[in-house]
Amino acid sequence: MAGLVRTGARHQRAARRAGEGGKRTEYLAFTLAGEAYAVQIAFIAEILKPPPITEVPRAPRNILGVVSVRGKLVTVVDLRRRFQLAESPIDRKSRILLTDLGLGEQIGLLVDEVLQVYRLAESELEAASALGGDQPAHIAGIGRPPGQLLVLLDLRPILET
Amino acid sequence: MLEVPGGRGDPSFDKARDEFFSEAQELVDGLGRDLVALDQALKRGHSDPEIINDVFRGVHTLKGLAGLFGASRMSVVSHELEDVLDDLRLGRVELSSHVLDALFQAVEIYNRILAAEKGDGPDPTADAEALLVALGQVSEHRGGTGVGLIAQYDLDPGLLGVLTEYEEHRLRTNIQAGLALFRIRVRFSLATIDSALDDLKEKTKPHGEIITYLPTGSGTDIETIELEILMASRALLHVLRAAIAGPQVDIEEVRRRTAHSLAVQSSLPAAPMAAAPAPRSPVIRLDPTTDAATLGGSGPPPILGSTGLPALRAESTSARGSGPAPSATPAPPPGALTGPVGVPSRELSLRSVSQTVRVDIRKLDNLMTIVGELAIVRTAIAGLSDRVRIRPELRQLGIELQRLHRSFDRHLSQLQNGILEVRMVPLGQVFDKLARVVRQISREHDKLVKLSITGAETEIDKLIVEELSDPLMHMIRNAIDHGIEPPSEREHVGKDEVGNIVLNAFQKGNHVLIEVEDDGRGMNPEAIVASAVRKGMVSADEAKDLTAQDIFALVYMPGFTTKEVATDLSGRGVGLDVVKTNIAKLGGVVDIVSGVGIGTKMTITLPITLAIISVLLVEIAGRLFAMPLASVGEAMGFDDRQVRTLEGREVMTVRGKSLPVCRLARLFGLAATEPASTRSFVVIALMGNRSLGFVVDRLLGQQDIVVKALGRSIKSVRGFAGATELGDQRVALVLDVAALIDEVLAGGESRFMAAALA
Repeated sequence: MAGLVRTGARHQRAARRAGEGGKRTEYLAFTLAGEAYAVQIAFIAEILKPPPITEVPRAPRNILGVVSVRGKLVTVVDLRRRFQLAESPIDRKSRILLTDLGLGEQIGLLVDEVLQVYRLAESELEAASALGGDQPAHIAGIGRPPGQLLVLLDLRPILET
Repeated sequence: MLEVPGGRGDPSFDKARDEFFSEAQELVDGLGRDLVALDQALKRGHSDPEIINDVFRGVHTLKGLAGLFGASRMSVVSHELEDVLDDLRLGRVELSSHVLDALFQAVEIYNRILAAEKGDGPDPTADAEALLVALGQVSEHRGGTGVGLIAQYDLDPGLLGVLTEYEEHRLRTNIQAGLALFRIRVRFSLATIDSALDDLKEKTKPHGEIITYLPTGSGTDIETIELEILMASRALLHVLRAAIAGPQVDIEEVRRRTAHSLAVQSSLPAAPMAAAPAPRSPVIRLDPTTDAATLGGSGPPPILGSTGLPALRAESTSARGSGPAPSATPAPPPGALTGPVGVPSRELSLRSVSQTVRVDIRKLDNLMTIVGELAIVRTAIAGLSDRVRIRPELRQLGIELQRLHRSFDRHLSQLQNGILEVRMVPLGQVFDKLARVVRQISREHDKLVKLSITGAETEIDKLIVEELSDPLMHMIRNAIDHGIEPPSEREHVGKDEVGNIVLNAFQKGNHVLIEVEDDGRGMNPEAIVASAVRKGMVSADEAKDLTAQDIFALVYMPGFTTKEVATDLSGRGVGLDVVKTNIAKLGGVVDIVSGVGIGTKMTITLPITLAIISVLLVEIAGRLFAMPLASVGEAMGFDDRQVRTLEGREVMTVRGKSLPVCRLARLFGLAATEPASTRSFVVIALMGNRSLGFVVDRLLGQQDIVVKALGRSIKSVRGFAGATELGDQRVALVLDVAALIDEVLAGGESRFMAAALA
């Protein structure tokens, strides 16, 4: 438990503050198979060091298994499998992002490494169409903080199915 | 009239109604008694705050009860009365003989309302309204008294700031009565504070009144807590000090701030309660004699005052006159809410009723989850303490850590037991219903049946009790319809013409056993087999090899019946299979023992609680799984060579019988993490009449676990009832044995069907 970082409430407040200003939104950036992604921090309840994951036989392939977070069972999804990226074993940089989209359950996302929180101004956001062609629904756009390029994810299409 | 769900014809309606009346009557009688005591105290010139509190609690309970049963007149009266009593309690209104008159009148009105609700008294609405007016006038004469009084004392403003209104009132009253204030600082050990504080209260009681106590928050370490107790007493400092002496006790008198205050004090009446100034406009006095006249002589005229109690008692019995054999003491309602039967329980029941809390069982589930987490923390601490202890330089620390761990462990199991206990309700709840069923069914079928119940007080998880009534109902019906013979037949075989059904419940370890036993004709194995063969459930050849146990197992098969003619009771072949399935859902099993001509005994074995189940931990391809023990028959060594493939399904032979086998590693598509061990096991699972052998690599033992549901995202994955945390943050999936058996056997059947069609 010592490794848990509680971020949820604080960042939800921060996100609300930023939302009212209409100026900046906070994103949590992480890597999957070497590429940088980010999700709105308002949906992240907690960042966990991965506890032992119990695989659930015959579950969809995206689902790594279940873990226990303070007595509650949480399903863990492997975004790399979902995005058909190269997989690597869990190491000491791996983290589970505990997301809460208000779907009735919290879902864990296994990521390779958590980078940092970016407060992105509207000017630093690009639409997904900037990538050209038809982009999948879970790609919300591009974030361009100085010196970085982030694929912004919309978690709903990923986790609702 | 009362509006109770269920309707008039429903026996449960009558019962609830009866309970309401007896409980309400008991409370009203209690009020009468308390008021007499209050009256006597007032005549002696002082008031007893404890009695006023008792009256307040009684009225509050009555209000709740009245609300529950839609007795609106009673609710209104109680509500108004509560206000007056609250004012009295908090000293906003002085207790005078006028006020007491109104209170006595209220008791009288309660009795009339109860009589009217029962339908044997005149409408008391007019009287009740008169009372409400009187009570309203009492409330109007609240007065603020002695505001500046407290300020004369050298009391910590922080302490004064947190006094409740009641405490402030008591403080004021005591000062007015000329008592001295004492400040006591006591240091308690956190572990024993409850008993130590009670001890202290007991010691101080003869000397005065504890107004309030607060933690000081200063100079305490983590093991102790210091309380500052404010006490009023007539005793001198050294007397008090002698009474409550102790190494951790520090006592001093609270000083007045000014010298003038003495004069102020002496000018105050010593006992203001007795010399209470009359209200500015007098309370309307309700004349008891005229009110009694409106009763039309249905009871003796109530005599209020010091003899009020007997008069009220007589009134209450006459109000109950329409019932069978009026008794001077109303029967306490059956059920868990009352104390032991008998006169001494009266005061007790008054309290127990008002101290009951209804709790949503989900909240208890939440608490149980937290306990589960603490258990995991406990395991972690144990590991830590072991690691510390092997380091010589940390030996002392290790010993302390271990001591803390043991204490934590002990309290945690107490907490767990405590929560489980709260979930428990007596089986009597469902047994009562069964007694009615027996009476009704036996009458309809001209059978004479005597039902004896033992162990109705046996407690079991609330959720289980809810699910038990249907299965038990089926079993009782079976016993009456199939078991107990008609009186003539019973006489013919030399039995008493009254048949006996015995319902026994008792606890055995972590299980509750419920036996339904009849002394009827018993189950005839030949008839059962013949019927099963006729219905094609077994072939004539198979039938020859059936053991007694196998034969009894047949009655659980869906559609089984020996009755040629279906009655409206049973014989449709829907029954025992439902019983078995319902009990299995609760994690229980049913066993049958029967002797022809002697009778049948069916035993249900249930876990005490659903919050915790016993599982067999098994390992499959290096992963842990839990199988609920309730569905496990036995486990044995597994030998590949015993397996034959029949119609595409793997089958092994156990004691001369075919047992379909399911290799869980294969079903789950699990690749072995290590080379297959030479030995593996087969766990034979039973569900209803079907059994299946699950092949597992290792048996890891038995454990009691808390099952948690899987998240919505993987609810649809077949074969798992949930998961549990084993400590070390490891999670094991709990197999849904019934679903797996369904899946495996149905899969086999469809393959077989496909082959047959091709």
